[in-house]
Amino acid sequence: MASNNANKSWLGTHVALLMICAGFIVPFAWMLSTSLKTSAEAMVFPPKIIPSPANWKTYQDVWHHPRFDFPLYARNTLVIAALAVAGTTISSALVAYGFSKVRFRGRGVLFGMMLSTMMIPFPVTMVSLFALYRWLDVHTPIQFLGTNKPLWLPACFGTAFNIFLLRQFFMTIPDELSEAARIDGCSDFGIFWRIVLPLSRPALSCVALFTFMGVWNDFLGPSVYLQHPEQYTLALGLSQLQGYRGAVTDWNLLMGASTLVIAPLIILFFLTQRTFIQGIATTGMK
Amino acid sequence: MLLLGGTLLAFGPRPHGKIPPGRVVVSYWEKWSGQEADPMRAVIEDFNATVGKEKNIFVEYVPMATVQYKTLAATAAGVPPDVAGLWPDQVVQYSLRNAAMPLDELAREYHIKPEDYKKVFWDMCRYQGRLYALPTTPAVIVLNYNKKFFYETADKLRAAGLDPTRAPQSIAEFDKYAQALDVYAPGTNRLIRAGYFTMEPTWYDTVQNIWFGGHSWDERTQKYNLLTPANIATFEWIASYSRRMGKQNLVDFQSGLGAFSSPTNPFLAGTVVMEQQGQWMGRLIDIYKPDMAQVIVPFGVEPFLPRVLRPFNYDWGIAAFPSNVPGVKDASYDVTDVLMIPRGARHPREAFEFMAFTQRQDQMEKLCGMSGKNSPLMATSDEYVYSNSNPYIDIYDRLAASPNARANDQTPIYNEALSLIEVAVQQVYLMQQTPIEALTEAQREIDKRLASQDELAAARAAWSSR
Amino acid sequence: MTAAPTTTATNTAAPALMAQPTIAAARPRPPKSGWGDIGKGLAFLSPWLVGFTVFTIVPIALSGYFSLCDYSLLDPPMPIGLDNYRALMKDQWFWNSMKVTAEYAILALPAGMLVSLGLALLLNRPIRGRAIYRTAIFLPTLVPVAATAMIWLWLFNTKLGLINYVLGKIGIPPVPWLTSPSVALPAMVFMSLWGVGYTVVIYLAGLQDVPAELYEAAELDGATGWRRLWHVTLPMISPVIFFNLIIAIIGVFRVFEIPLLMTNGGPARATQFIAMYVYDNAFLYVRMGYASAMAWIQLILVLILTGIAFWTSSRWVHYQGK
Repeated sequence: MASNNANKSWLGTHVALLMICAGFIVPFAWMLSTSLKTSAEAMVFPPKIIPSPANWKTYQDVWHHPRFDFPLYARNTLVIAALAVAGTTISSALVAYGFSKVRFRGRGVLFGMMLSTMMIPFPVTMVSLFALYRWLDVHTPIQFLGTNKPLWLPACFGTAFNIFLLRQFFMTIPDELSEAARIDGCSDFGIFWRIVLPLSRPALSCVALFTFMGVWNDFLGPSVYLQHPEQYTLALGLSQLQGYRGAVTDWNLLMGASTLVIAPLIILFFLTQRTFIQGIATTGMK
Repeated sequence: MLLLGGTLLAFGPRPHGKIPPGRVVVSYWEKWSGQEADPMRAVIEDFNATVGKEKNIFVEYVPMATVQYKTLAATAAGVPPDVAGLWPDQVVQYSLRNAAMPLDELAREYHIKPEDYKKVFWDMCRYQGRLYALPTTPAVIVLNYNKKFFYETADKLRAAGLDPTRAPQSIAEFDKYAQALDVYAPGTNRLIRAGYFTMEPTWYDTVQNIWFGGHSWDERTQKYNLLTPANIATFEWIASYSRRMGKQNLVDFQSGLGAFSSPTNPFLAGTVVMEQQGQWMGRLIDIYKPDMAQVIVPFGVEPFLPRVLRPFNYDWGIAAFPSNVPGVKDASYDVTDVLMIPRGARHPREAFEFMAFTQRQDQMEKLCGMSGKNSPLMATSDEYVYSNSNPYIDIYDRLAASPNARANDQTPIYNEALSLIEVAVQQVYLMQQTPIEALTEAQREIDKRLASQDELAAARAAWSSR
Repeated sequence: MTAAPTTTATNTAAPALMAQPTIAAARPRPPKSGWGDIGKGLAFLSPWLVGFTVFTIVPIALSGYFSLCDYSLLDPPMPIGLDNYRALMKDQWFWNSMKVTAEYAILALPAGMLVSLGLALLLNRPIRGRAIYRTAIFLPTLVPVAATAMIWLWLFNTKLGLINYVLGKIGIPPVPWLTSPSVALPAMVFMSLWGVGYTVVIYLAGLQDVPAELYEAAELDGATGWRRLWHVTLPMISPVIFFNLIIAIIGVFRVFEIPLLMTNGGPARATQFIAMYVYDNAFLYVRMGYASAMAWIQLILVLILTGIAFWTSSRWVHYQGK
């Protein structure tokens, strides 16, 4: 039904999107272009949008920077992200199963309580969490403060947003499947492990992706809990490229490092955005 | 992606251990990173190779953003560093909360004596009769001016009865200079160059009263008193600049100012002719605006220029703050980086061994010399003055030793009061309030905080002695 | 086929599920007793129950206790009753930060909703290069905060920045974005629109869930354009709108890093958000008890606001299954 009308709207959509995306890309483009300048060129006015010649050395400098150890920070971030992703995916799925497939009194109330935890702003608990970890440090043999545990351990007990997402997805899995398995002598955990989990791959990968991106870019958490530069994450490490009062001496380095930090995320999003969106779509969000 | 991540996890870099085995590791957290950290790193290298090697101590430098909060949090958590590089504000803040170790005895043991220091810096390290810190690199904030524009405007300045070859000395004089140096876009009233601009930089607007001999904190009564004649005069003066330029000009002009560490820095770009800054202006010029540093000889030849001629090679000039107060000359605003030992540090003795090392004249001169700063110590070697990259090092040295070198107030609510005074300045600058209104409001809020602070301190004393 | 969005494309993992996105007709098993499978249920919920207790209940209770104390982290908390709350009521800068946050919310919530929904509608059209457009819109949410602040400081500069340069080209005088107390907050709202990527993605997901048959039916009824949007799309995605509204309300109380890095709350505290004032009191002034009292007021406010949203939601949120 490719009418003239449809063609026109198709063109209009492209034009509108191109213009809007240009607006969205400008700041990012400036970041990229600054990263390809020398330190001296970076803050010259009027600015050159396309640096010539491109100073690719910035990236070499970032990689070997004495204060911004990209490989080390990347490793630290990956460790935390891996633990948080694995921890939250498994635990949230377990809890979501309990909320969707097991019937018991009080389930609704508990579910409501869980939803309301999403509304608590972090600063509310920031100070007392700190005090709590300190108490745990003193009264248990495990050290929390000054380690990366506070950044991934809570995730291993399920995250409200993820539980919510997965529960919505599990609700769409017909009960007939689990009933059939039960008749075959399958336990609840067996149903969860062998039937529900394999069927939920899109939602699980969506949870994993959201968590991964969240951990990758988290600044406040690491800045509160990590105390040693050798434990720094990428987002926190970036602050090492700034001086006192946020004064930046090498703008090209900061921008180059930022580009390096987000490059994996951009690729990840570009490759997975369909799954990403469908993962949420199938859950219905309601 | 997962594969790549896994590979990096498995074969990627591990936290590297450069620490020689068997040494006591002193962890040293410091606010400076980057080039600003290089001088201290050099001193540490020296220490680790000499005294440290001898006494089995190894100092590890850890640059850290917002070090003052993190040190406090880490101290509360029982995992503090051994040495923390902080500001004098923390001397009061930490000692009041029992978060800093008093250093009097260690200082005596290592023959560190008050008379070896410029008074202003030594006093910053003490609170209520005890020593909590030792100074490292000082910051001496003075009047900076762009000589090039003074010369360019010479006729106009002379016509106003001013001398274009020197900085203004009184505030009345300063105002005339500032007005003569203002430039408006032709045919409009749009300000494009300011002789002086209240909000450039924004860091010293709260200590502007030093120019007028004013004090916000009364040391004797231990109370804030903002409504003194000198403070009111300061605020009236700020308001007079805003009135002269007009509200629209203020916000427009400020919105066009460039970034501090860049060639667009208003002083380097020539957008503001006179402003308050520290010794770092020399280094900024060398990095971003070298043509301001080659008036006589080209960049690079300068080290061969006789010391006395070096200032002439700069468009950049410095002078003490102008003042109207009889007897007040050589006024400046002084701060210093300090080293402290947080309570609960694991190796306080080793930490102090290192701190004492930094106080040796040779090490201090290396540290301050590399930073282009003057030394907090009284004694200075000729070699240090001669080889310092800063052409005005002797002036900074003299101003820091002057009795009119002013430090931050030592008050139990310093940070809160400072931010309340800052709001008052901004309100007057933006002409939202009159000086009296703004000062009265700030005074009221500060009084409230101070009263509650005192009350709580008393209650706590009673509570903990229960 | 018409230009209706489809959900068929790629999902190979669970094609059967895609066909029936709504809850499968449940055949309830008779519960064993009045409590149902309480043991099994709690077993599955146990990770969350532990986490909820340790990382949510305990900290909230603790901060509630601190809010009734004088507490500086270093000394043990000393109970002082409701003094912190009393002082807060009289703290004009606390109210100022509440006002700033509220003004921001009034501007940023509707603006963000409109822009993100509009973008999602555009991006949902079956056009070539959708993936690239979507990535472009999502990109800004990935840029680290420090870099975002630096970039925008430059963009907003009257003399050196791009925005005023472009405005100048079309004859608009420069706007002092961040230095004028009346413009600084709207400038931050404008900036926040750059970060709508996450919201857009969630809307996109919601839009994919609207059954194509509904559009076809609407088309048969002669409904096009705006009418279709108003009568089909919006009601169908109202749960998603609701979800995003809740997330946005929570988000307003978290605005912190950008104003800290860009204006430090100025000029004259015109951009001092509540989260910044909490942080300043907690860490700069080391008044943890006072900060906790503020945090509690904040918590109660968020609960009230979201409560109102939930309460009104029955009027405008339509659930497909019902």
